[in-house]
Amino acid sequence: MKNGLLIFVGLFTLAALSWAVMLLAPHRQYGGLGPAVDPVEGSVHPYGTSGLAAQGRLVYQDLGCATCHTQQVRLGTADLERKWGARPSYARDYVKDGVVLLGSSRLGPDLRNVGARLGDVPAAEYAEWFHKVLYAPSSVAARKPAHPFLYDVRPVNPGQASHKALRLTGSAAPAAGFEVVPTPRAEALVAYLTSLKDTYEYPDETKRNAPPPADQKGGH
Amino acid sequence: MNSPVSSRAEQEQIDATTKWPVLAFLGSAVFWLVVGGVFQLGASIQTHSPTFLAECEWFAHGRLAPAALDVLVYGWGFNAAFAVSLWLMARLSLASLRHGGWLLIAGKFWNIGVFLGVVGVLGGWSTSYELLEFPRFTVLLLIAAYAMIAVWVVTTFSLRNTENVFASQWYLLAAAFFFPWLYSIAQVMLLKAPVAGTLQAIVDAWYVSGIYTLWFIPLGLAIAYYFLPKLLGRPINLYYTAPLGFWWLISCGVLLGGIRLINAPVPVWVPTLGIASALLLPLPLVVVALNLLGTIGRDAGRAAASPTLSFIGLSIVSFLAWGVLTIVTSARGVATTFQFTLGPAGLDWLALYGVFSTAAFGAAYFIVPRLTGREWASPALVRAHFWSAALGLGLFTVASLVGGFKQGALLNDPSVPFGDIGPALAPWLAARSVALILGAIGHLAFAVNFFWAACPVNSGKCRPAVVSAPPDLPAPVGSEAHA
Repeated sequence: MKNGLLIFVGLFTLAALSWAVMLLAPHRQYGGLGPAVDPVEGSVHPYGTSGLAAQGRLVYQDLGCATCHTQQVRLGTADLERKWGARPSYARDYVKDGVVLLGSSRLGPDLRNVGARLGDVPAAEYAEWFHKVLYAPSSVAARKPAHPFLYDVRPVNPGQASHKALRLTGSAAPAAGFEVVPTPRAEALVAYLTSLKDTYEYPDETKRNAPPPADQKGGH
Repeated sequence: MNSPVSSRAEQEQIDATTKWPVLAFLGSAVFWLVVGGVFQLGASIQTHSPTFLAECEWFAHGRLAPAALDVLVYGWGFNAAFAVSLWLMARLSLASLRHGGWLLIAGKFWNIGVFLGVVGVLGGWSTSYELLEFPRFTVLLLIAAYAMIAVWVVTTFSLRNTENVFASQWYLLAAAFFFPWLYSIAQVMLLKAPVAGTLQAIVDAWYVSGIYTLWFIPLGLAIAYYFLPKLLGRPINLYYTAPLGFWWLISCGVLLGGIRLINAPVPVWVPTLGIASALLLPLPLVVVALNLLGTIGRDAGRAAASPTLSFIGLSIVSFLAWGVLTIVTSARGVATTFQFTLGPAGLDWLALYGVFSTAAFGAAYFIVPRLTGREWASPALVRAHFWSAALGLGLFTVASLVGGFKQGALLNDPSVPFGDIGPALAPWLAARSVALILGAIGHLAFAVNFFWAACPVNSGKCRPAVVSAPPDLPAPVGSEAHA
């Protein structure tokens, strides 16, 4: 190969091809995918993240949670048995997430449906559980780095203990006369985590991903 | 003008024009290498001892781990790549590097950009997109600095005084061309005018895969293609197959990103395309093995005596291992176990450290003495660097792969509670920390030797330790093959 121009043109073609095939084609295919409207109730799914939860996503980004946590439930693996979701994740689930962090490592568990993991528990109790995971993971038998910097440990105002103070016991409990109160960042992060639940069954996607009826198998 | 035997004086003249830019880039690279190695070690310790530095927000694992990789990629990797590309391109084009002073300025901008980016990630302004974590305000700085640096590589090439274009030059041009393409498109599609939904994951996978297969791996190969024939004094074995290997490898590389998205909620043809291009990788692997291992041939003993060639040997072996492992682990059945474990990061490390960094170390051991006119101060440190790099790389890769498969098997076994997986992995995670300690020792040895040799204050009184033993043979610039 002697011709510099030819090398350049070749590389340019490959680069253009790579962009067109890998990015432009999927964009044309489902870049315009929007939320689905329930045919019976008329409700919109996914609805998008609420204000506080959207702030929480910024905290999630800033702390780099995606380093160890994925947000995708796969078929053909143990994800469903592990109760990381009642169904696999569909592309439509993400269309209203401003920032999509599917993640690439599962040193920690998948979080796509972490907001539905405890089942029907009162919201306040659920938030308390998240706060304990973040402030003192060992208090709920979780093996993860603690994020104590998201919490204020402060002296209790006599007669005016904060209603937000964590109810910690054992080694995680603060010294007598002190309380552990979540900062606004911790509250936003927990609001985000509790908002993570893909529980809606899209009629379209469910149909598309359903196994074929037995009598049609191998029909071709 | 295409005399394969350029005169020694001419070469020295060309080298002299590259001296300060190359030394400045290498110096910054070595600085970031030491910093990145320490960060990476800290992040690795956190994986088996989660309490380590956890109280300190700036060094929370989710910040430290990406910051470490960013330092190693943009701080060490890019600076070293700039140094080696500029020097190689000037030598191979028989053209002096003109107005190199601008490069010093551009290099400052690049390093300021990296510094701000790393502080941004540690301070909580991370975007959280893999390898694109640097906050937005660094992007223009990095692009402008990159443009000012790469333009020198390309103009040096277009002002070449040779007729042939050698294999190393193809690979250098490919890398110089692909990075700005990948980076600017990824920035626009993720941060400037973000695409919606899981398209973002496709863009990021495309970028990350491109950084390894279209930037670091071509650069590693460019170094190997240059130094093997030069130091062994014979042309590349079966050189006429090299263009095929080059175009085929780049073609596979541009479509490989999909293998990072197997089973992800994206159109299923995206990962399938990645798997298909991984299946086409054997051909370039065979060509590169024939070209490079064939050139070493029966001279392995002679090659092992030269630090440059022993590092390059490590790079070639890593490239072949990377290729084979990429093919194997992209199969759907294997990927279902392998993805989301320690393994994929081990493969990326094999590309960044195994293929590129070792080749860059080898190149530095050759280049620096020729720029400073002084030999390396301590051959013992050179040996220490080689062995700690080789052992650290080997241990890290094996621990990541074996630990990764074990982790994958446990993750996919619903009868194993999630909380039991971490303790089961602890030995492998600890082995990775040991590997990184070894690597960090090597980095320190390299840094001491480098600053000793490159520092202008040292008057050159130190005992010359002739470690780059083979004489500076004229480069057989693939001339025979072009006859």
